[in-house]
Amino acid sequence: MTEPLAMAPIVAENLVRHFGDVEAVNGIDLQVNAGEIFGFLGPNGAGKSTVVRMLTTLLRPTSGKAFVAGFDVAKHPNEVRQRIGVALQDAAIDPLMTGVELLRLQAVLYSIPKSKMKSRADELLERVGLTAAADRRVGTYSGGMRRRLDLALSLIHQPTVLFLDEPTTGLDPMSRVSLWEEVRRLNNEGTTVMLTTQYLEEADQLADRIAIIDKGVIVREGKPQELKASVGFPTLVINVSRDQHELAKSILMGFGDLRPTAEGTLGVGLRGGAEAVTDVVRKLDESSIRVQHLELNEPSLDDVFAEATGHRLEGAQQ
Amino acid sequence: MSTALSLRQTQALTVRSTKALLRQPALVAPSIFFPIFFAFLGASSFGKTTNIPGFPQVESFLQFSLASTVVQGVLFGSVTGAAALATDIENGFFDRLLLSPSTRSGILIGRLAGSAIFGAAQSLIFILLLLPFNAPVKSGVIGIVALSVSGGIVALAIGSIMSSVAIRTGSAEAVQGAFPLLFVLLFFSSAFFPRETMSGAYKRIADINPISYLVEGMRTLVLDGFNMQALAKTLFIPTAICIVAVALALTQLRRRISAQ
Repeated sequence: MTEPLAMAPIVAENLVRHFGDVEAVNGIDLQVNAGEIFGFLGPNGAGKSTVVRMLTTLLRPTSGKAFVAGFDVAKHPNEVRQRIGVALQDAAIDPLMTGVELLRLQAVLYSIPKSKMKSRADELLERVGLTAAADRRVGTYSGGMRRRLDLALSLIHQPTVLFLDEPTTGLDPMSRVSLWEEVRRLNNEGTTVMLTTQYLEEADQLADRIAIIDKGVIVREGKPQELKASVGFPTLVINVSRDQHELAKSILMGFGDLRPTAEGTLGVGLRGGAEAVTDVVRKLDESSIRVQHLELNEPSLDDVFAEATGHRLEGAQQ
Repeated sequence: MSTALSLRQTQALTVRSTKALLRQPALVAPSIFFPIFFAFLGASSFGKTTNIPGFPQVESFLQFSLASTVVQGVLFGSVTGAAALATDIENGFFDRLLLSPSTRSGILIGRLAGSAIFGAAQSLIFILLLLPFNAPVKSGVIGIVALSVSGGIVALAIGSIMSSVAIRTGSAEAVQGAFPLLFVLLFFSSAFFPRETMSGAYKRIADINPISYLVEGMRTLVLDGFNMQALAKTLFIPTAICIVAVALALTQLRRRISAQ
């Protein structure tokens, strides 16, 4: 039997994956430490899922190395599979089976002894609040119930590393919060979690550390607070009529660097902080610029993303 | 991984695929209904052809059609199983199976074994349904068992061929799209008339068509009674096709996994 290497639960070294001419992941280095919740934040198509699929043995890297739970994913995929739990995007669950049937199938696939199968399935169903729906076909489950069952399935063998690929996409706010609580509880019990998300709030709320990925490259990495602090200044966002955009832009540039914002608005990282707002308004007024809307935003992960990539996180919801 | 463990996993996947088939009556019913419908339609339309020189000695046209009814039904059923595999690939459930430490071949064999069990059950249903309509199986109970087993093996063979399409394309539509090709093969075989009564291009195609040999193997047990040669013919031909087809499907699976 191969022994695991003494290293962090997830390590990637210059990981690359190409699909034909498309460079989906282009040289990623990352390390997720034991007991961490690591957030992988990026827009659709940034390469998040491709990285997860490589780390979970579903995809072979074009080049580079990855180690999960102390094993090389390319050389010892089965050792990796025995130690990881994975909930992929879209909760891939057979709608014709019942919740309990799927859990028992999963238990067999992970070689859980027959004597422990029932108790483990019951325990997990209770944990994710699906005991009452256990004997119903999954096709009748709501989106939130499917996600919770998906999570239960990924936990059947008590993995040490858990991968959650966009676990709350498409869920209503209540289901989202309930899933976050479950992820926190799992993490408190010692499970290392790597989750991909396109939701800024999710990354901010859950993750101990975050990597921001765009176009297959990690553009920022660190603790959420540190990343936000690195942006420094709050962002002043204003709306002015289209014919006054250029003039307003030149005035704003005197107060800091322009930042990407939603179309039709202008944003500036205020060097003078909140106190400089009055000066900005006065300058704009002196130039007869009519401000239709004004807001001051404390630095957010979206600002970090914008600063690193030059554009806002597509589809991000605060 | 131990063989016992591997077998337990394959068995669990077989149960899953069998349950999935039984839970889709709208998909399963046509594979029972249409072959029976075509058998009775054929018997009422071509009943008198049994007097044509070259036609074997039969009790009725239905008795002659029994083997082709079994093969036809199994073709329908096997496509349903392969389409379900493609759906697993499409909706990501196949990835969930691949993420587990179970054997890769077990994942496929489990799915195919479900089709084989369904094929055997279908065959038995056809035999029992046609029996009261002057379509006896001359080889008796052993023959009926052998025909059901043969039906299961044919289902495994056809299921494997269609599963290769499913694995290669990952599309249930592609599997359904390939089904008419099987039906054309069935019509250009000796399923509906003996090769002795055919001529020209039709006969030449039937002579090289493997479906002809599948049907004729089964037909020997129905019409000629039990003997070891008939039994061997009934089981050997589908088994030979099955081995090649399963090997093809496993190769496709290995290719798909290594290409990822």
